[in-house]
Amino acid sequence: MNVLECKNLVKVYGKVVAVKNVSLGIGRGETKVIFGPSGSGKSTLLRCLGLLEKPTSGNIYFNNVDVYATKQDLNKLRAKIGFVFQEPSLFRHLTALRNVMLGLKHVLGYSEEESRSKAMEALRLVKMEDWANYYPAQLSGGQQQRVGIARAIAMDPEIILFDEPTAALDVELKWEVISVMKDLADRGITMLIATHELRFAKEVADEMIFMDQGEIIEIGDAEQFFTSPTTERARRFMAKLLG
Amino acid sequence: MLFLLDFSDFLLNGFLTTLQVTLVGVGLGIILGILAALGDIYGGKIVKIIVNVYVEFFRGSPLIAQLFLIYFTLPVLTGLKLDVITVGYLTLALNSGAYQKGYLKGAMEAVFKDQFLAALSLGLPLRKILMYVVVPQSLRIVIPAWSNELASMAKSTTALIVIGVREFLNTGVSITAQTFKPLETYLFITIVYFIWIYSMLKILDIIYNRVKIPGLEPVI
Repeated sequence: MNVLECKNLVKVYGKVVAVKNVSLGIGRGETKVIFGPSGSGKSTLLRCLGLLEKPTSGNIYFNNVDVYATKQDLNKLRAKIGFVFQEPSLFRHLTALRNVMLGLKHVLGYSEEESRSKAMEALRLVKMEDWANYYPAQLSGGQQQRVGIARAIAMDPEIILFDEPTAALDVELKWEVISVMKDLADRGITMLIATHELRFAKEVADEMIFMDQGEIIEIGDAEQFFTSPTTERARRFMAKLLG
Repeated sequence: MLFLLDFSDFLLNGFLTTLQVTLVGVGLGIILGILAALGDIYGGKIVKIIVNVYVEFFRGSPLIAQLFLIYFTLPVLTGLKLDVITVGYLTLALNSGAYQKGYLKGAMEAVFKDQFLAALSLGLPLRKILMYVVVPQSLRIVIPAWSNELASMAKSTTALIVIGVREFLNTGVSITAQTFKPLETYLFITIVYFIWIYSMLKILDIIYNRVKIPGLEPVI
């Protein structure tokens, strides 16, 4: 069964068609990777799947229920879909711990103590427990991103969407975020990751999805993309990325 | 200047009126400013138009004209009999709110687009996003701008003299009329204004440094 799925999803901004007719599903426990040139619609697709933007047309299913057709409470569903952004979007007036606690306390309704212990558990998972009382501005980009992952994990979501979580980081900070994501994949957490880190993708992806100009061009396993992509566009893009 | 001691109660009352009008004006102005800023950012088209007409009107016309306008027209329009001090509160609040909306909107917009989305993704409803994410940060960021607003409002209260509010400057006018000693009287009054405003700014400075959070520097 798919946790999250979209059918014929289209998103148009003004005259720009950002996502063209995309259908895609992520099953429980799966890790799928989306990649493709910037501007290929990955972010928009993820935001639609995360219910942060309403698609222009098409359907989104959460646990096989059509979200918009059956007028689901979006906030309830958003709490079950974790989202990690490209920019570490931490709340700047709150410590790392408080960032993670906010949703636990004010969305899921846990008490102060319960929220605190659950948040600490999530911070331990991303190895940030020693930084719990630091403010975002006192942390490096990689550390902020790990807190962002902890904030998503703590909500115990059914799936986590990652929108190029390492794209804004220096090379030496990327590995710490990647290793956290690998860890999550090993734990069987359902994930959809947009990334350009192909070596990482090869290790974790059950399936890789190549997007260009708002469309899915090719779907396959990592092996296929690394050795013999079937489409010309994927072949060219792989060549560019792998140098 | 010792003759002023004979008027100490009178002066004190005038000063307290000025203090009260300033704080109420800025205080109500904060609330109006927050509402107007939120309305302008998150409201629909009609709300945005109302907010902008309000803001432009109060920023683009003289305070004394606004005082007269409200003093003479509001009782006619509403049938309520307003005393001068209420007119003072109301006008200063509307005036201050129009300026504060600008500071607050800048603070809210500049930093919060990505955080807004992050809060949304956690499943927080709009009301809670504003309460726990947007407003606490904007209030901190806007404190230095408030210093200016408070100083400017403290000085603007002297305009209330035109509708006959017995504020601090007005007490000076009365004393001068009785004693014919304008030099000492106005010197005293001006110095008191200065000391008061200066210490208010210092206090706000201390508050700002207390609630300051690393990485949340003012944007204005």
